[in-house]
Amino acid sequence: MGAGGREVAISLDGVRDKNMMQLKKMNTAIFPVRYNDKYYTDAIASGDFTKLAYYSDICVGSIACRLEKKEGGAVRVYIMTLGVLAPYRGLGIGKMLLNHILNLSAKQNVSEIYLHVHTINEDALNFYKKFGFEVTDKIQNYYTNITPPDCFVLTKFITQTKK
Amino acid sequence: MGASLPPKEANLFKLIVKSYETKQYKKGLKAADTILKKFPDHGETLAMKGLTLNCMDRKSEAYELVRLGLKNDLKSHVCWHVYGLLYRSDREYREAIKCYRNALRIDPDNIEILRDLSLLQAQMRDLEGFVETRQQLLTLKPNHRMNWIGFAVAHHLNSNGSKAVDILEAYEGTLDDDYPPENERCEHGEMLLYKISLLEECGFPERALEELHKKESKMVDKLAFKEQEVSILLKLGRFEEGERLFRVLLTMNPDNYRYYEGLQRCLGLCSENGQYTADEIDRLETLYRALAQQYNRSSAVKRIPLDFLRDDKFREAAENYIRPLLTKGVPSLFSDLHPLYDHPGKADILGELVLKLEQSLKSTGGYPGSVEKEPPSTLMWTLFYLAQHYDRCGKYDIALTKIDEAIEHTPTVIDLYSVKSRVLKHAGDLTAAAALADEARCMDLADRYVNSECVKRMLQADQVTLAEKTAVLFTKDGDQHNNLYDMQCMWYELASGESYFRQGELGRALKKFLAVEKHYADITEDQFDFHSYCLRKMTLRTYVEMLKFQDRLHSHAYFRKAACGAIRCYLKLYDSPLKSASEEDDEMSKLPPSQKKKLKQKLRKAEARAKKEADVKNEESNAANVTKSGKRHVKPVDPDPHGEKLIQIEDPLAEASKYLKLLLKHSSDCLETHLLSFEVNMRKQKILLALQAIKYLMRLDADDPKSHLCLIKFFHKIDSLPTPVTDTEKLIWGVLEAERPTFSQLHGKSLIDANNTFLEKHRESLMHRAAVAELLYVLEPNKKAEAVKLILDSANDLVPIDGAQGNVSSWKLNDCITVHKLLETTLADRDAASRWKVRCAEYFSYSIYFGGIQSSAATSSANNQIQKSAANGAVGLNADGDSSLSSNGRLEKLNALKDLHI
Repeated sequence: MGAGGREVAISLDGVRDKNMMQLKKMNTAIFPVRYNDKYYTDAIASGDFTKLAYYSDICVGSIACRLEKKEGGAVRVYIMTLGVLAPYRGLGIGKMLLNHILNLSAKQNVSEIYLHVHTINEDALNFYKKFGFEVTDKIQNYYTNITPPDCFVLTKFITQTKK
Repeated sequence: MGASLPPKEANLFKLIVKSYETKQYKKGLKAADTILKKFPDHGETLAMKGLTLNCMDRKSEAYELVRLGLKNDLKSHVCWHVYGLLYRSDREYREAIKCYRNALRIDPDNIEILRDLSLLQAQMRDLEGFVETRQQLLTLKPNHRMNWIGFAVAHHLNSNGSKAVDILEAYEGTLDDDYPPENERCEHGEMLLYKISLLEECGFPERALEELHKKESKMVDKLAFKEQEVSILLKLGRFEEGERLFRVLLTMNPDNYRYYEGLQRCLGLCSENGQYTADEIDRLETLYRALAQQYNRSSAVKRIPLDFLRDDKFREAAENYIRPLLTKGVPSLFSDLHPLYDHPGKADILGELVLKLEQSLKSTGGYPGSVEKEPPSTLMWTLFYLAQHYDRCGKYDIALTKIDEAIEHTPTVIDLYSVKSRVLKHAGDLTAAAALADEARCMDLADRYVNSECVKRMLQADQVTLAEKTAVLFTKDGDQHNNLYDMQCMWYELASGESYFRQGELGRALKKFLAVEKHYADITEDQFDFHSYCLRKMTLRTYVEMLKFQDRLHSHAYFRKAACGAIRCYLKLYDSPLKSASEEDDEMSKLPPSQKKKLKQKLRKAEARAKKEADVKNEESNAANVTKSGKRHVKPVDPDPHGEKLIQIEDPLAEASKYLKLLLKHSSDCLETHLLSFEVNMRKQKILLALQAIKYLMRLDADDPKSHLCLIKFFHKIDSLPTPVTDTEKLIWGVLEAERPTFSQLHGKSLIDANNTFLEKHRESLMHRAAVAELLYVLEPNKKAEAVKLILDSANDLVPIDGAQGNVSSWKLNDCITVHKLLETTLADRDAASRWKVRCAEYFSYSIYFGGIQSSAATSSANNQIQKSAANGAVGLNADGDSSLSSNGRLEKLNALKDLHI
């Protein structure tokens, strides 16, 4: 086994009642916010759009989405959270999670994916722009306890690959 | 059969028998009724009808009919046979055997009855009878393979192995040269292996080996063949051949520890106690280095050297062993290594070396001397190991620091919470331990193991209701609590019984302990089917092994715990009997009338509710469970689910003696057995049996404080007895006079002197001092203050313990609790007890019992530990800034903040 370039298997798994606590634990560790029950119901309801990432069988990252029905039957995906435990960052896990959502959206009837980012979070903005997201709006006073309290709305519109 | 009937009815009778055998009971019943219309007194038909009804769960009718049938036709072997079968179905084997014998008196050569009898004899271990019956069967039907085999096995069980060999050889003599046919090769091979193992067992290894080689081609199980061969070679001292064979076996399975052990024996490198000379260690090292090259995928070959290597060589080997397993993330690594903590010096080395790994991982991200970076999880597993290491060494505070650090690093790993729970349990905070185990459980609701572990922790913290609810999450729906009983879930029953016992709920405790005892009776019962099955399938070696296992069954630890628990319940019942109904009324009459009325109403309501519940349950199960054959699978509702009847027995000591007998028979080398025997027999005034217990205790461990307590208490009691009057009493005195000098502890000494001598010998030990103090008070009640002082003056020496990197309190938490109870109750010195408590709270800061400042008892909420760990998450986030060096890492950290919406 060589280190450094060693390949550690990363795999994704869905969120169910039985392992929801894993997602909760992770959110507690990563975000300074306690999410309410609706967040978790939405996450489970989104099916494959919410995933846990496992790094050699340890749960280290997650992406949680909410599906929103638009008029005409199209679906809009809202990314509620995307996070990776601090020690496991820089290993491409966040990228893998986001790519999973992008691929899944391309296969299903999804017209757009959007999310909110703190206006001064340059790195996050750059991260999402790399994946083709663009700033479509700015909401004033979105946050209550951080300054500035504003956020950008980032959106990626999907052109369906399916016929 | 049915001979006295006209042809039409005789045919119907045959139909009954056939229906019984094919389990078509309704059909059989109809046929029986048709015959009985014409011949209402026909004995055999009545008996068969009874037997059929027995299978349809109509027990009382069944017995009535069978007995009536027998009365009408006492000369019928059918009636007797049926009677025997009926008894057998109720596990009344002794009665069944009697019935079969009566049947055989009428029809001595009835093969069926003989066969049934032989099964019962095997079950009851009536080995002489078994041999006899088997011989009869063979004489009657010598062309039947099973009869030869059965006769041979009977002789073997009756300790006549060589006779068994003769029989098997005679049987082989009856076979053709081209035997066995293709479809019987496995069975024949098994028979040959059995015969060879018999030869080996009765001390003919040469013959065994010769036979083995001669019949090699006929044995199908090649692995068993080789293992048998190598075992004989060892017996014959032919070590070179043995070595070659073990090496062959290792190529087949390089992870079988027994093969390595055998190989070492052949090379003269075997030691019972694991101690080797320097030269031997060198040779072993060379051996395993070569083996490791050959079998580089075997983990056994890497692990075994850690047992014999020492000092620096051990350090090097251990490090090479541990590093890849931490990288890979093997949660069981500590369990794998913990036997090494009993070897002097190794705990220190392991602790140092893993600490070094931790430091290196923290400063460079890789192992010492390695340029390669480790995956992030390695640090977490390293901390996880260290927590268990410090837990093992009694350094609970460091263990908790390490495990908290690991949880902060990766809060999603369930094992971390389990280990934290275990550390807290060891440190004495059972409530927090249960809360943490529950947290672990919540992280994977589909994992039965974490569920069970949580249930156990809850029971240890005496949260029985909660534990029951949690355990039931993994049982089948419906009859949930019974399901744990049906699954023979003994760890649960024991832990639950112990918890009820601690809470003084003796009925419920007894219920659980006796349930375990029943499981053991069931396991004994379960062997019945194998007596015929194994002879037919020829799995003789495993069959005999199973019988031997059954003979030792009741020496198993779970049975011992259950029996000890039950006896303790009965002792408590004897010491403080239940209030009788009249006494309860007395208490009630003391209440004012208004309250009395309320209380009575309450009681009535509760009773009515309980009755209704039981009725509903009964009906439900009755409605749901009638199957086609007409057999009702009704689970009888337990009439005494909380063991209330169990504690209303007249003579608790007689009940206790039942279980004591089993302990004395099967666990006579346990100190506990004889301590209980002493307690029971002293209460029963059985002086000589108590003396016997003392003698056992002295033989097993005369230095144990509890043995000493019993010894002195016994002779103190004897001395206070009145002078003997009756002949029996005089006889007992005579024995005591003769026996007393055999106790060297009492030689020419008064009991007080003997007690002092014991103190001089064990002055440093807390528990010995406590025993001496207790006896001092018993022997000289006016010296109570001195007794208390003796305990309070004990010094808790801090002793260096391997691997702890520092000193650890030499007192054990449980011992200190025992001492506290002694001060509080037996010596009844509240002041001393509370001083003791304050002192111990300092030593055991996590202990709930002593109210240590770090226990959840002191910090108001049991969730304290959980909240602390939840807060770790936030800390982890804040700590990000300095740890994420790569740009990517920072990016993702900030991601974390991106979608705050509050």
